[in-house]
Amino acid sequence: MTQDRPIPVRVVVLGGGTAGWMSAAGIAALLPGLATVTLVESEDIGIVGVGEATLPHIRGYVERLGIDEAAFMRATHATYKLGIDFRDFGSIGTSYVHPFGSFGEKVAGVGFHHYWLELARQGQAGPLGDYSLAVAAARANRFKPPAQDESLASTYGYAYQFDATLFGPFMRQHGLGLGVERIEGLVTSVERDPESGDVAALILKDGRRVEGELFIDCSGFRSLLLGGELAEPWEDWSQWLPCDRAAAMPCAHVPDAPLRPYTTAAAMPAGWRWQIPLQHRMGNGYVFASSFLSEDEACEAIRAAAEGEPLADPRVLRFRAGRRRNSWQGNVVAVGLASGFLEPLESTSIYLAQMAITYLIELFPAGGGIDARDRDEFNRLVDMEYDRVRDFLILHYHATTRDDAPFWDHVRTMRVPDSLADKLELWRRAARVERYADGLFYDASWIAVYVGQGMLPDRHDPRAALADPVRVKAALDRLRQAIAGEVAAMPEHGAFLASEAARLAEAA
Amino acid sequence: MSEPRDPLRRVVVAGAGQVGVLAAIGIKRALPGAEVAVLGLARDPGALADHATTALPFTNRLHDRLGIDQDAILARAGGSHRLVTRYFGWGGPGQSGAAPYGAAVEPALRTRFAQEWGGGPRNSASGMTAASLAEVLADAGRFAVPPAGEIGSEVAALAAVEYALRWQPEAYHALLVEAAQRLGVSHVPGELAGIEPDGMGGIAALAVAGAERLSADLFLDCTGPSARLLAAMPGFALEDWSAELPLRRLILGRPGQGMLALEDRFSLLAEGWLGELAGRDGLRVALGVAEGVTEDAALRALGAPPLAAFQIEQGRARAPWLGNVVALGDAAARFEPLAHLNLDLAHRQLDLLLELLPGRAIEPLERAEYNRRSALMMDAVRDTLAAHYAAPAAQHVFGPALLSPGLASALDQFTRRGRLPSREEAALSGQELRSLLAALGFAPGQVPQAASVDGAQVEEEGRRFRHRAEAALAAAPPYAEFMTR
Repeated sequence: MTQDRPIPVRVVVLGGGTAGWMSAAGIAALLPGLATVTLVESEDIGIVGVGEATLPHIRGYVERLGIDEAAFMRATHATYKLGIDFRDFGSIGTSYVHPFGSFGEKVAGVGFHHYWLELARQGQAGPLGDYSLAVAAARANRFKPPAQDESLASTYGYAYQFDATLFGPFMRQHGLGLGVERIEGLVTSVERDPESGDVAALILKDGRRVEGELFIDCSGFRSLLLGGELAEPWEDWSQWLPCDRAAAMPCAHVPDAPLRPYTTAAAMPAGWRWQIPLQHRMGNGYVFASSFLSEDEACEAIRAAAEGEPLADPRVLRFRAGRRRNSWQGNVVAVGLASGFLEPLESTSIYLAQMAITYLIELFPAGGGIDARDRDEFNRLVDMEYDRVRDFLILHYHATTRDDAPFWDHVRTMRVPDSLADKLELWRRAARVERYADGLFYDASWIAVYVGQGMLPDRHDPRAALADPVRVKAALDRLRQAIAGEVAAMPEHGAFLASEAARLAEAA
Repeated sequence: MSEPRDPLRRVVVAGAGQVGVLAAIGIKRALPGAEVAVLGLARDPGALADHATTALPFTNRLHDRLGIDQDAILARAGGSHRLVTRYFGWGGPGQSGAAPYGAAVEPALRTRFAQEWGGGPRNSASGMTAASLAEVLADAGRFAVPPAGEIGSEVAALAAVEYALRWQPEAYHALLVEAAQRLGVSHVPGELAGIEPDGMGGIAALAVAGAERLSADLFLDCTGPSARLLAAMPGFALEDWSAELPLRRLILGRPGQGMLALEDRFSLLAEGWLGELAGRDGLRVALGVAEGVTEDAALRALGAPPLAAFQIEQGRARAPWLGNVVALGDAAARFEPLAHLNLDLAHRQLDLLLELLPGRAIEPLERAEYNRRSALMMDAVRDTLAAHYAAPAAQHVFGPALLSPGLASALDQFTRRGRLPSREEAALSGQELRSLLAALGFAPGQVPQAASVDGAQVEEEGRRFRHRAEAALAAAPPYAEFMTR
C-alpha cells in the first residue's frame, strides 16, 4: 500500500505555544514518512496559553495520538469538565449550565424541549437542567466517566480543565519523542521564492536559515507569516464581539470548597469573568471590552471579585475578535490565534486549533505540491467552523434583558448578523433550532442558551399540548428522578480525582 | 411564557398514490385530532416515486414509526430484501462493484479519523475500498432478519447488516390504504376542478368535480410531476437539472418471471443504463436510453416487452413549500430511478415535514427552514445521480455532463485523496457514497493519515472482519429458506 512513498514534506512550525506543539505532534504522529517537522520557538517570546477549559473533542486528539489519558491529566493538573455555568447573562441573578450532553429525548418525533415548554406553561416543570444528567451532576459537583452503552448514564460527555501553560510543554515532550526537531531562535525575516511568492525559509536572528515546503504559522496574535508576511486581510468581528482584553489572575482554591466539575462564566459590567478549577489552583480572569472599561479598572475588578488567595498579579492580554480571510494562503497555514480569535466564552480556542490541524492532515500536500483545490477546501471548512461558533457566541451577549451597564445596552441592542437574526426569529416564533450536521454546537446547546438566558419562545409545537398532560408530567418526573438517582450514585468530583490520584495527580 | 401553537385542523392531501397515502398517515398519526382527507385524483403514470417498488433503509425506519408493519409487507405485498446494488461496466468493460447500506463494512478499510478526532462528528469519511458483510451475504445468497430482541452474539453480525425492501406496488398501496382507513383518514374520489386562493399566497380550498369543495389549513401536493397545486402558487419556479443529468428518455419493461435475490443491478450498456430489480412478483427492468439510440436497439437492450415509455424532464421545485402548500414526491423533484432514490427522497421530505410540522398559522421562517433543508436533500440527490454520469465509461454512452461545484469537489477529493467532503441532508452516508463511487469505477486516492495506521492492526482488524463474515454466513440460511419460513 505504500508503493511509491513520496519524499517527505518539510514542515516548519513557527511558534511553540499550544497550537504550535499540537500541530507539530499531530503531524509527526499521523503522517509518519510523509512529513518531517521542525518547530521554531523562542524563549524570549511568552505564550498566551489560551484555553484552560476545553471541549470533549480534545479527548479524541489525545487518544488518536496514543497519549495515555492519566499521564496527560497528571502532567497538566487537569480536572474533569461537564459544561459551563453561565451566571447573570440573561439577567442578574440567573444561572444555567450549558452541558456536554442532551436534555431528555424526542417523543413521537417532537423535541423534548417542546414538552418541557408545555409543562412549564402549566407550572409543572422543573428547571430545564433537571432533565440533563450532565447539568444535574455538575450542579451536585459530582463526576464519573459516562457509560459506554445506550443507558441514561451514557447521555453526557466530558472535557478537561487544565493548566494551559503546562499543556504546551507536555505536547512538546510528546512531539520531541515523535521526532519533531526543535530549534530555539528568533525569526527576524522571511525568505520568499521570487517566482511563486511562497515562503522558502525563515531567517533567524543568528543568521540560520530554516527551509521548508509547508509553513504552519502558530505565532499567535502576531500572525507573523500569514498576517505579516503574506498580509492576508483580517475580517473584524468586534462589532458583534466587543471584548478585546482579558485580565488573568490565578488564585488558590478556596479552602474546603467543593471542586467543581465545570467552568464558571459570570457576566460582569463590561464582559464576563471565568473561573476554571484545576487540581492545584483556580484559573480566574475578566474578559472585557476596553471601550467600556480601562485595563486598570478591570484589574481592580478581578482582584475584588476573586474568591481565593491571588497567586499572581493580574496580567492583561489583548486580542480582537475576527479571523483572517483565508487561513491557508500560498504554502502558509495558520493554526490557532494566528488564524483567528474567538473569545473563550465557550472554550473554543483549542477546539479551533485542533479542527484546523485535523483538516490540514486530511488535506495534507503529501509529496509537497500544494493543490489549490485542497487549499480552497481547507479554507471553506475553517470558515464554516468559525462562522458557526461566532453566531453562537454572539447569542450569549445578545440574548439578555440586562440594562444595568453601557456594555450590556450595546450588545443587547446591536444588530446581529442576518444568519443569527433568522435563527433567533425561528426560535421565537416556533421554538425550532436551525439544524446542521457540521460545525460545533447542535440543538441542545442552542436550547440551553436560549432557555438559560430567558429567551423563551412565543410558541411551541402544537403536538406537545395534544399529549395527555398527566402522562407527560409523569414521564418527565420519571426522567428527573432517574437523573437524580444517577447523580446520587456518583462520587464527588474532588473525591473521584483523589481516588484516582495515583493515576491522575502529580505527587506533591 | 410559551404557548402551544394552534394545531392544524384540516389537511388535504392531493394525490392518492403511495406517497400521498403515507403522507396522510404521517399527518394523522402526528395530529390524531385533525381531519385528514386524501383527494384521489387519477394517478399520473409518470410519477416515479408513486410507482417505485423499492426505497432505501430510511423507509424501513419511517414505516416503523408510522405503524406500517414490515412483516405485512413481506407476507402480503410481495416484499423482499436488497442488501446491495451491483453496478456493472460503469468504470469500463468488465468492471463491477457493489454498493451496500449502512456502516457494516470491513473496519480495516475505513479510518474513523475525523469522527474520532474532532472536526465535526460526521464531517468526512476517510477510507479505502469498501467491502461489506452485505456483499458477502449477497454473494452467498444467504440472509435472514434476526428476530428483534433476541440478538445474541451469533446473529450480531447479521443484525448489523442494513437492507432495503422491495414490494409489489398495488399490494403495498393497498396496505397503506388499509392503515389510513384504520386511522380515520378520509378519501375523496374526484377530479380537481379548481383552486381557490386564500389571498395570502396559499390555497383556501380545492374545487372537486362532483364533490364538496375541500378547504384546509395545509395542502400536500402529491400529484406527481405536474405539481398541480404547487405550480398554481405565486412564486413557483423550477430548477432544471438537464445540464447535470443527460437522460431524457426512460422505458419500463413488463415485469418478467419473479425471483428471489439479495441484489439489484444497474448495468451500463451502449444503449444506456439497464436497471434490473428482482421483485418476488417479477423481475422489473428499466432502460435509461442514451441520446441517438434507435427504438429497436433500445427495446433489444431492454430485453423485455415494454410497459411504458416516457420523456423525463429532470429538475426540482425551487421551493417545495409555498404558502400553505407542500409538494412531496415528483411534485417536488422529478428524476430518473437510478439508485432507487425517488421514494427515499419523498419519505425523507415527509419526515422533515413531520419534524417541522407547522401550526394553523404557518411561520415564514419555518417554511424557509423546510425549503432550505429539503433543497439540500434534493441537490444531494441530483449530485448522487450525476456521479453516475461522471463515471469513466458513462461519459462515452451519455456524453459529457455538467458537474455541480459540490460534485466536482467530491469527485476530486475522492479520487485524489480518498476523502469525501460531508454533505448535509444527503441520502447516502459518507460510507455509502464511498462504496457507490467505488462501484461506479472511481478509484479512491491515498489517505495521508493512513501512513500512521499500524500494519499489524490492519491485519488484525481484517481477521476480525473475516471472522464476522463467517459468523454472519453461519447464522444466515439460504435466502429462499428464510423467505419460506
